[in-house]
Amino acid sequence: MGDLALPDFISDLPQSIIESILTRLPIRDAVRTSILSSKWRYRWATITHLVFDENCVALFNERPLAENSLVKFITRALFLHQGPIHKFQLSTTRLQCSPEIDQWILFLSRNDIRELVLEVGEEEWFRVPSCLFNCRKLTRLELFRCEFDPPLAFKGFSCLKSLNLHQVLVAGEAIESLISSCPLLESLSLSYFDSLDLNIWAPNLKYLCLEGEFKDICLENTPLLVSLSVAMYITDDIAEHFEQSSSCNFIKFLGGVPLLEKLVGYIYFTKYLSIGNGPARLPITYSRLHTIELCQVSFEDMKEILVVIRLITNSPNLKELQISGSSNTLAAIEARDLDFWEKECPSDCTFKQLKLVKMTDVSGVPHEMELIKFLLTSSPVLEIMSINPCAFVADRKLNMLIELLRFRRASAQAEIVFDQG
Amino acid sequence: MSEGIMAVVKPEMKSYIWIQTADGSIQQVEEEVAMFCPMICREILQTGMGSSKNYAIPLPQRVNPPIFGLILDYCRFHQVPGRSNKVCSVLSVSCIASLHISGEVLSFLFLGVLVVGGTERKIFDEKFVRMDTKRLCELISAADSLQLKPLVDLTSRALARIIEGKSPEEIRETFHLPDDLTEEEKLEPLKNIADDPRIRLLNRLYAKKRKELRERGKLKNVEVEEELVDERSVDDLLSFINGGNEESKEVKTNKNKKKNRRRKDQLKDSSSNSLNGNHKAFDSLTSACRDGELTDITLSTPSQTSKFQGSTAASFSPKLEFDDSDSDDDLDPVMKEELDREVEDFARRLNSDWPQRMQEILSLSQQRRLLPVSMNGNDSAHRCTDFGQQIILQDQ
Repeated sequence: MGDLALPDFISDLPQSIIESILTRLPIRDAVRTSILSSKWRYRWATITHLVFDENCVALFNERPLAENSLVKFITRALFLHQGPIHKFQLSTTRLQCSPEIDQWILFLSRNDIRELVLEVGEEEWFRVPSCLFNCRKLTRLELFRCEFDPPLAFKGFSCLKSLNLHQVLVAGEAIESLISSCPLLESLSLSYFDSLDLNIWAPNLKYLCLEGEFKDICLENTPLLVSLSVAMYITDDIAEHFEQSSSCNFIKFLGGVPLLEKLVGYIYFTKYLSIGNGPARLPITYSRLHTIELCQVSFEDMKEILVVIRLITNSPNLKELQISGSSNTLAAIEARDLDFWEKECPSDCTFKQLKLVKMTDVSGVPHEMELIKFLLTSSPVLEIMSINPCAFVADRKLNMLIELLRFRRASAQAEIVFDQG
Repeated sequence: MSEGIMAVVKPEMKSYIWIQTADGSIQQVEEEVAMFCPMICREILQTGMGSSKNYAIPLPQRVNPPIFGLILDYCRFHQVPGRSNKVCSVLSVSCIASLHISGEVLSFLFLGVLVVGGTERKIFDEKFVRMDTKRLCELISAADSLQLKPLVDLTSRALARIIEGKSPEEIRETFHLPDDLTEEEKLEPLKNIADDPRIRLLNRLYAKKRKELRERGKLKNVEVEEELVDERSVDDLLSFINGGNEESKEVKTNKNKKKNRRRKDQLKDSSSNSLNGNHKAFDSLTSACRDGELTDITLSTPSQTSKFQGSTAASFSPKLEFDDSDSDDDLDPVMKEELDREVEDFARRLNSDWPQRMQEILSLSQQRRLLPVSMNGNDSAHRCTDFGQQIILQDQ
């Protein structure tokens, strides 16, 4: 094959295609294309996505050497780069907080950075420099393990659509004002915060993910919220704090999200929602809600069960429901307040789209069984009811099964799948 | 969607769009398939072309007929409902009723899944991009000019997978890239690549070489280059090669201008030495360029027993002249070329594997007289000797 005779077939492609290819390569390979031929000398230098991680540089065993080589590599790459940088991502555990990071952020802030993901070392939390707040065009910001301190005059990121703060040290008010000053914010994720007291004002927010110890959350203005995922860790003092408050958490949290489509609540979520005295009837119907997942629902607490019922009965278009119980297996097995079910569940309530119900960690306590019974009788199109008994109820499994058999089923196709685990 | 443009669509028949490819030939394409390409879609909507043979839509230059065929296959698969172009979705939906469905698509529909599932598309995509590199490049170029973004993304990913992990030579070969970086450019410090001890060394070598070139360049302007004649007798040279330590020390301390030239000649002559392929010794032919140890490069004299002279930094690389006192005004163009070649080779070696390099070196013994030490980043403390060199120069 006469290599010299055939023209090369890639170098003349338009820059947008070359960029498309180079951004799909690991940064190291992209940079190496500079020695391919004269046309490729600086092709890599204009790519707008820079993603750095530990694989960029050769492996070293000693920490300082490894860190050093990574820092040098990134600094050089940035120095040789031309043109705007739209995405910068650095994910590494090797790099402790280092003064170069500040300089990189300064450089990026001068180059129209749009997406910034920064995840650095675990021992020392790096302090976000103030030049970060000058990145006017930022649309996505993800920070891991750092100290975040917006200056007083900070007016917010006017283009920010996605914010993800994970283990970030920041004052509660700062977060609140940051969220409310980003008008286009669509996706918010806050994890591992300590005792956060949050009022979320985000008119365009669609996706919310919260994880950590939250003292109080109020979704004050999130009318467009589509997906909600909450993991609450309630410590004792938070629980005490709740004892004293009388505001209804359910309303505070779920009162203003009519467009909600997916709700996932981990650990203490139902407990959190159960606190406070709510109105007899919920004023809101979640007509778009199609998936509910609730973990660790305590079926001995009437209030929690009430929360579950309210949630379900106000979601006429529910398609998938997952509930995992957390009942103390040694607790009461006697029926108590069973007429509560008749009171709270309207008999005409049907779930016209509910196809899948998954109950896990079922311990067979009366209220749990009542819930299953209720679901079976109100779901005309149910296809699968999956029941996973929890590991401790070996002796009660038979009783559970016997009860299950008796339940009326509204759906002829309903399968009760009893998973022995 | 104005009805006027839709006039061609007869509900009972499949409707076609007329397309003219770059070579002038005109063909008919099913409407819904053609509409999947945003560029064609826009042409139809904005200019109303494509309705008849005389008004066939001309395709952009980069789309040649065979590639267009491929693109049509892609479109045909992916335009099954749910994936159609936003602009033309109404059109596609209306045409579904009259769709002449290909077997593949039909089977999907029978599965009751109207929107082709994600994995089915993925499987198709994976198979689709299995073609030779040249065609992939043509395909991506054509997809880009037709603004078919999903196909551009797919082919970019495929090309990136091809490039990833390959050495520069392999990439050049795959894409037929000319290896046309000038000497100076190649010698520019490789700031980009990872901070490897080898790279650092290479940078240092290049720095030295550049300095040499610069000085040479300066001197060229100043004086005419003279043809240097090596006046040493053959005996001298042979005795040098076969001699003992003192000789090598002599070499080391003798900062003669002609050092390079002499060394080069020595090597030519030393091919007469027949040492057995001593691979163990060859192994010691590792990083001549340990950090900081390249202060003095000389040839240690060969001996049958691997005698490593502690005093002689015995790495073989005559071109790597690190003595500042050595001026370069005696390097003639021929020498310069040789040196340039070595540097290039050196760079190449950095990218290849050890066994490969061994083979290369062994095979290159015929063509090249001067060979650089191969670097494999091995932090072996062995001194390099001429053993390796002689193995190289052995006529295989």
